[in-house]
Amino acid sequence: MASTSSSTVPSHPVVFTTKTPYVLPSQKFMIPLDWKRYQLSQLINKALDLPKPVPFDFIVHGEILRTTLWEWRAEKGVGEEDTLEIEYFESVMPPQRMSDIPHEDWVSSVSCRIPQHFVTASYDGHLRLFDYSQNPVIDTFVHQAPITSVCVVPSPSSDAESRILASSSHDFTACLTHIYMSLEGPSASTVASLHLHTSPLSCVSSDTSGSHLLTSSWDGLIGVWDTSIPDEHQVTLERGDDRKKRRKTAPVNIKRKAPIAVLKSHTARVSKALFATGLHAKGKAYSCGFDSTVRTWDVESGVCVNTVNVPERPMLDLAQTPDGNVLLAASTDRTVSIFDLRISNSSLSSSTGFMMHPATPSCIATSEGGKQQVVTGAYDGVARLWDLRSTKGAVTNFRVWDGMKVLGVDWAGDVVSIGGEGGVEVWRITGGS
Amino acid sequence: MQSEEEDEDEERESDILSDDGEVDDFPEIDAASDSDEESEEEEDDTDDLDEEDTLEEDSDADSDLHIFPKSKVVVSDITGQKKTVYPEIEPDYDSDSSTEEDPSRTGNIPMHWYDDLPHIGYDINGKRVLRPAKGDELDKFLATVDDPTSWTTAFDKNTQMDKPLSAEELDIIRRLQAGENPDAEYDPYEPTIEWFTGKGKEEVMPISSAPEPKRRWLPSKWEKQKIMKIVRAIRQGRIVGSKPTAADKKHQFYAIWNEPPSNQPPPLPAPKPKLPTNSESYNPPEEYLPTEEERKQWENTEPEDRERDYLPQKYSALRLVPAFDKFIKQRFNRQLDLYLAPRIQRIKLNVDPNSLLPKLPSPGSLRPFPNYKSLKFTHTKARVRCLSISPDGAWVASGDESGVISLWEVNVGREVKRWTLGSKVGAIEWCPRLDVCFFVAGTEEKLHFLMPPNLSPTVLTMTQSTLAPATLPPATQSSIKWISSSGAVEEGPILVIELPGASGLPRQLTWHRKGDYLASVSSSETQGGVWMHQISRRHSQAPFTKIKGAVQMVLFHPTKPHFFVATQRYVRLYNLAEQKLLKTLMPGIQWISSMDIHPSGDHVIVGGYDRKLCWFDLELSEKPYKVLRYHTRAIRSLHFHPTYPLFASSSDDGSIQIFHARVYSDLMTDPLIVPLKILRGHDVKDGLGVLQVKWVNKQPWLVSSGADGNALVWCS
Repeated sequence: MASTSSSTVPSHPVVFTTKTPYVLPSQKFMIPLDWKRYQLSQLINKALDLPKPVPFDFIVHGEILRTTLWEWRAEKGVGEEDTLEIEYFESVMPPQRMSDIPHEDWVSSVSCRIPQHFVTASYDGHLRLFDYSQNPVIDTFVHQAPITSVCVVPSPSSDAESRILASSSHDFTACLTHIYMSLEGPSASTVASLHLHTSPLSCVSSDTSGSHLLTSSWDGLIGVWDTSIPDEHQVTLERGDDRKKRRKTAPVNIKRKAPIAVLKSHTARVSKALFATGLHAKGKAYSCGFDSTVRTWDVESGVCVNTVNVPERPMLDLAQTPDGNVLLAASTDRTVSIFDLRISNSSLSSSTGFMMHPATPSCIATSEGGKQQVVTGAYDGVARLWDLRSTKGAVTNFRVWDGMKVLGVDWAGDVVSIGGEGGVEVWRITGGS
Repeated sequence: MQSEEEDEDEERESDILSDDGEVDDFPEIDAASDSDEESEEEEDDTDDLDEEDTLEEDSDADSDLHIFPKSKVVVSDITGQKKTVYPEIEPDYDSDSSTEEDPSRTGNIPMHWYDDLPHIGYDINGKRVLRPAKGDELDKFLATVDDPTSWTTAFDKNTQMDKPLSAEELDIIRRLQAGENPDAEYDPYEPTIEWFTGKGKEEVMPISSAPEPKRRWLPSKWEKQKIMKIVRAIRQGRIVGSKPTAADKKHQFYAIWNEPPSNQPPPLPAPKPKLPTNSESYNPPEEYLPTEEERKQWENTEPEDRERDYLPQKYSALRLVPAFDKFIKQRFNRQLDLYLAPRIQRIKLNVDPNSLLPKLPSPGSLRPFPNYKSLKFTHTKARVRCLSISPDGAWVASGDESGVISLWEVNVGREVKRWTLGSKVGAIEWCPRLDVCFFVAGTEEKLHFLMPPNLSPTVLTMTQSTLAPATLPPATQSSIKWISSSGAVEEGPILVIELPGASGLPRQLTWHRKGDYLASVSSSETQGGVWMHQISRRHSQAPFTKIKGAVQMVLFHPTKPHFFVATQRYVRLYNLAEQKLLKTLMPGIQWISSMDIHPSGDHVIVGGYDRKLCWFDLELSEKPYKVLRYHTRAIRSLHFHPTYPLFASSSDDGSIQIFHARVYSDLMTDPLIVPLKILRGHDVKDGLGVLQVKWVNKQPWLVSSGADGNALVWCS
């Protein structure tokens, strides 16, 4: 391949590194400057003599190479003699649509944290569990009102059969639902309801150990809960005819739980609250809201440690990469702000980048295992795959529904499940590092 | 002429007769005239001589001793060869032509001695020389007429006849007449001969050997005496010097600051001449030379219209440049300039038209404002006539003309509840109270009070106790019935107000800020259609018994007990407490369609079906402060944002216009109105566009409903 390059184009010394199993011998290559990703990828395939061609993407100085080397060099002002170190990784393959799970109502949230299963939360108040072959496993009616989010509480006792799902709803409560996938047949029972908020809840999330939950609500409060099921009701219901009636219909064994702490600082609706992940994550939580702030909380003391005010950018969703380095916040001005936590370990200061969307981004999902990709869903029915190293444009976008909103995404392994107006769709994304 | 000449001749003769000493002059002329005649003959002879020359040359070579006459070498006119010409040689030894020519040998005697004789002398042989025949005066005259040279003839008294004057003689006469030296050879400017100046010619010796006199170096005693006399006279005061005059004194020191400066402007300096440009050079670069087309175009245009009054021309050298042909013209124009044109400084108005536009801040600096369509909620059946947004900014209730009211989230657009009322929904308004949560929808002759689902228990009980209290307040005398439905509250309206029959569709509902009073405007023409409903007393009344014109809209003042009523042409402001008319605003709109009041309560915007939008400052005037006409079709709805300095107007042209409207608490500063954005997303259907716009509380978001059955949320 190198021999075919014309002699008129100057070359640049380059050293290739990788973290993939496809390792080139460390030597200096003279790469013609008009080469793009495709030629570089071909070069590596040729050099390694791979039986099946593997497309690669290239990172130069922490950025994905999207132009020719020449343009890149001109843009960055890198000298002609400097040896470039280019890291390569397997490219993200165009996502493939795997399956489609239609729902009667809109799906507000979807989770694929239970292996081989999808959990969907729908606006009709049902939590549904599907396996990978789209068979409904469990369909349980949890809330009277639309469910806004669902999360799978990681069980400490690696018990594959029983799981706890937490769901938040417009009926001002979050519920813990115990599901059993035993051999006799799957069953689900709502075991506890979390009573704190006086407005519809926007989300519920759990920490990695599964011991604590966070709920956020439109009333600006964030509730911190443990996941233990109490024996007694911890909250007495307010008097109300309607409520009495409902209690008659509701099963008696739903225990009403009270929060162990309330995080109070947001001045408007809290749209997302989540526990921090990563190295310095102990006892930390992040939340974002319609008051255009991203707040860092010390959960133990219940104090807002840090507030980042991004003016006039009401946040809709928040996500943190599993390594805890980057915080992403989707806002209604069609941007997803990137907050780099590595810059200052203790506190956030301001956003370090944006991912511009053509429509309102509604949800963000980060991928596991240190990958630098995220998936965002937007109101135009398109899910976009971004690489955090190059936020100028999406790596790929996959049109899920035309003109129907995407409301929730989740990404586990190579499976991306997308929930929204049209039900749930499952896409497969391979590649990336 | 003839007679005069004759007279002259006679005079001369008389002169000659009287003055004997000068008689000798004429023989000279005589001789010259002869030679002149001979010179003519010479010219004739030269041709003959040419051939003889060669012969004589040989003979000349032989006789070297014979020096005189010397030969001259001239170029022959005929052959072009050089030839030697000799002066004529008289053949005889005595070549005195003067004696020979004159036939008379009388000698130099006065000729009048022969006057009485028939002859004039004797020739060399002693024979008489007879007097030539003299014609009479007539003959003389005829001779002068015949002979053109007769006026240049003179009488020769030796021969007693007229002889023509030669050219030399005529020249002498001319010189004498002009008072010049008669000698043609005389050179008045001949070079001087330096005798005593120049190198080696200095006169070293003094001319006289006398010693130098003392007076050369001693001061004169006599002069000293004279001076001392004057000095003594001055000392004694007999001579007084002339005193310096006052004028002189004044001019010695001129205090320039004493006088006030004149008001006249200083004389204008003459404008500087323009520097010559490259194209005016005599040798301009090639690119300055006009092409043939340009030259033609220049020649065809009028001199007045020409861009420049010259054509660049190229000369290889400065000496080839011809004289400036327009010099006279240019000088003439310059004179015209100087004495006809007064020199005034013309101030050129060089105004950039853009600078006349008002300075408005750029829309980018006035963020946030809605600029894109975030989501769409669709009513499938009919056009969405009205919508309202809950005071917490989370829910939208929209009603369409088929009687369906949908309650949906602002952010997600998911419908959570739907009511079907059966008839066209004309107006929807949320109660502004935060402790209760319900909204009112107006259908044909009815007002429905509806509660959203999923209320918190406190809000729910509060709402229920407000709308359907356990103990009803005492019923009042009114034609309007309040019906509370105790039963299936979640499905239908909790409270219904039945407006009087034939009142038509409520066109507008508006809440007082405290949420206790609700005003409704019905579309029927009778009674003005304005009703005021008090929730706490469950009482309705018509505030106006009689009102001029059809009421289009009503509004509560946000802070004062004032009430705005917009009829077809005017907006009237009533004080409800004192029950009197405060003000009548005249927007100059043919048909008012919509109205809204700024949250500060001092400004009102009024929109009309004739596309005009008027901004009123209530402190200022009854006339609009500003009239905006940006829509191309009728304005349908206006709304001020409760917190952000924004307002929106929607129109039948399918567009929504967002304005920045900053109101200053300082009364001296005018409100700042900046058009920000035109939002297009609604389709025009049946000539109807965007029917209502409402802002979301606390966020710069806008919700609009249109005739195309869509309700759109616009986000910043």
